[in-house]
Amino acid sequence: MRIFVQSSSLIPGTAWHGKLALTYRQQGSKTVPVVQTQAPLKVQRPFYPEGESVCHSVVLHTAGGMVGGDRLSYAIVVEPGAHAWVTTTAAAKIYGDHPHQRPAIVVGTVQVATGACLEWLPQESIVFSGAHYHQHWRIDLAPGAHWLGWDILRLGRTAHGEKFLAGEVRSRFEVFQNQRSVWVDPQWLLGDERTWSGVHGLHQCPVIGTLAYVGQPVPVEWVAAARDCWPAARRHPGEAGVTRLQAGLLCRYRGHSTQDARRWFEAVWHQLRPHYAQRPALRSRLWQR
Amino acid sequence: MHAATFLNLLQLASPALPVGAYSYSEGVETLVAQGHITHPETLLDWLTQELRSGSIRLDAAVLARAYRASCDRQWDALHTWNDWLSALRETEELRSQNWQMGRSLMRLFLDLEPAAAPQLPVDWQREPCNFAIAFAIVANHWQIPLPDALLAYLQSWATNLISAGVRLVPLGQTDGQRLLRAIAPTLIATTDEILTLTDEDLMACNWGLALASMGHETQYSRLFRS
Repeated sequence: MRIFVQSSSLIPGTAWHGKLALTYRQQGSKTVPVVQTQAPLKVQRPFYPEGESVCHSVVLHTAGGMVGGDRLSYAIVVEPGAHAWVTTTAAAKIYGDHPHQRPAIVVGTVQVATGACLEWLPQESIVFSGAHYHQHWRIDLAPGAHWLGWDILRLGRTAHGEKFLAGEVRSRFEVFQNQRSVWVDPQWLLGDERTWSGVHGLHQCPVIGTLAYVGQPVPVEWVAAARDCWPAARRHPGEAGVTRLQAGLLCRYRGHSTQDARRWFEAVWHQLRPHYAQRPALRSRLWQR
Repeated sequence: MHAATFLNLLQLASPALPVGAYSYSEGVETLVAQGHITHPETLLDWLTQELRSGSIRLDAAVLARAYRASCDRQWDALHTWNDWLSALRETEELRSQNWQMGRSLMRLFLDLEPAAAPQLPVDWQREPCNFAIAFAIVANHWQIPLPDALLAYLQSWATNLISAGVRLVPLGQTDGQRLLRAIAPTLIATTDEILTLTDEDLMACNWGLALASMGHETQYSRLFRS
C-alpha cells in the first residue's frame, strides 16, 4: 500500500532545486558513471547485473515529491561506446500546492555519443489535481547513438476518486540526431472537463504513457512486435498504439493502469533491445511489484 | 483584397486543388468505426477540440512562421520549421500524408509558376516538404495576406474532414454544410489566436488523434489512405 504524505508538511520555506549530472564513460569494457548531485536528487551505487559493459543506475528523490516552484535539473551524458540503464526508486509525485505561484519544473538534457546507448526507464509520475507541472527534455543523439525512454503519467489520484480537472501539464520531449530534429512531442494537458472526458483528449483515462526508441529507422516488423505485446499486458481498460518515427518507434498508452502501461512497455523493451543493443533485456527486480 | 488575390486564395483553398486531401481522414475513419463519431454533433466536437488544443493548431502556427520566413527569404528557418513539423507528426501515416500533399502542392506550384523556381533553394524540391510549409510558400508567392491564408488553410482542413464524415458516418450533404457554418466562429477565433502564439506556446493535446491514426494504420477495411 502506498501512503501519500500530506503535502502541506512538505512545503519548504524556499523551493528545492535538485540537480543531477551523470556522465557515463567507457573504461576498457566497463561503463563507469561520474556523478554529481544536489539534494533532493541522489543516485544509488551503480550495479552491473548483466556484466560490466552496461551500468545500471537508480535515481532517488529524497524529498518524496515536488510542489510548485520546485525544480529538478538533469544533465546526462553517455560517452562513446558506453551503455547506461537508468530507473527511479519510486513514483514521482507532483502535489497540487504551489506556494511560490510557480509550476513544478523538470528540465533534462541528454547527450548520447556514437555507439553509446541510454535506456531511461523511470517509474511513473503522479500529478495531483491542481498541480502545474512542466517537464522539458532535450535529447541530442550522435549518428549511431541509441536512446530508449518512457514516460508514464497518472493524472489525479484516482484511488481517492480524484480527476484531473484543475491544473496543467506541459511535457516536451525533443530528440535531435546529428543536430536535426527527429522527434518532438510537445504535450499540453489542461485540467478541464473537455480534455478529461473527450475522446480527443484523455477519454476519462487517468493514465497516459509514451515509449520512444530513437536512433535509426526501424523495419515494420518492430512495430508489429510491439503491437503483439499489448494483449498479454492488458488487464484493465485501455488503448495502445504503435507507429514508426523517422528514426525509431513510438508507443502510446491511454488507459486506467500504470501497471498495464509498464507491463506493455517492458515487453516492448524486451522485444526491441536485442535489435538495437545486441543483448537481451532483463527483468529488473526494482519493477517487481 | 484585389480581385486577382481573391482568386488566388479561392484556388489555393479549393477542395479541387489536386493534392489528394480527399483521400485522407486523419483518424476520422477509425473514430467512426469505433463508434466515437456517429452524428454531426460528435464530428463538430472533434473538430472543435482539434482547433482548441490539437495538432492542427501547430500546423497553422508553423504555417504562419513559414510564411514569414518565406517573405524574408530565410530559407534556413523554413528548413528548421519543416523538420520540426516532420518530427512532430503523431504517426507514420500522418507524416506520409503531409509529405505527399506537400510534394504535390510544390510540384503543382512549380508547374504553374516556373519563374518562381529560381527564387527557391534547389534542395527544396527534393526534400520532404510538409503541406503547411508548401501552403505558406504558395500563399506568400501569390500575395495572400497571412491571416486570410491561415483562415483558408483551417477552413479547407475542416471542409475535408467534414466531407470524410459525410461519406463515413454517413451524413447528409446539408448536414455537412451546416457543420461548416457551425465551425466558422471557431475557425475565426483559432486564426486570431494562432497569430499571437509564441514558440513556447507550440504544444498540443494529441492523444485522441495519435491513437486513432495509429489504429487506422492497421484498420482492416478502409476507404481512406494510410
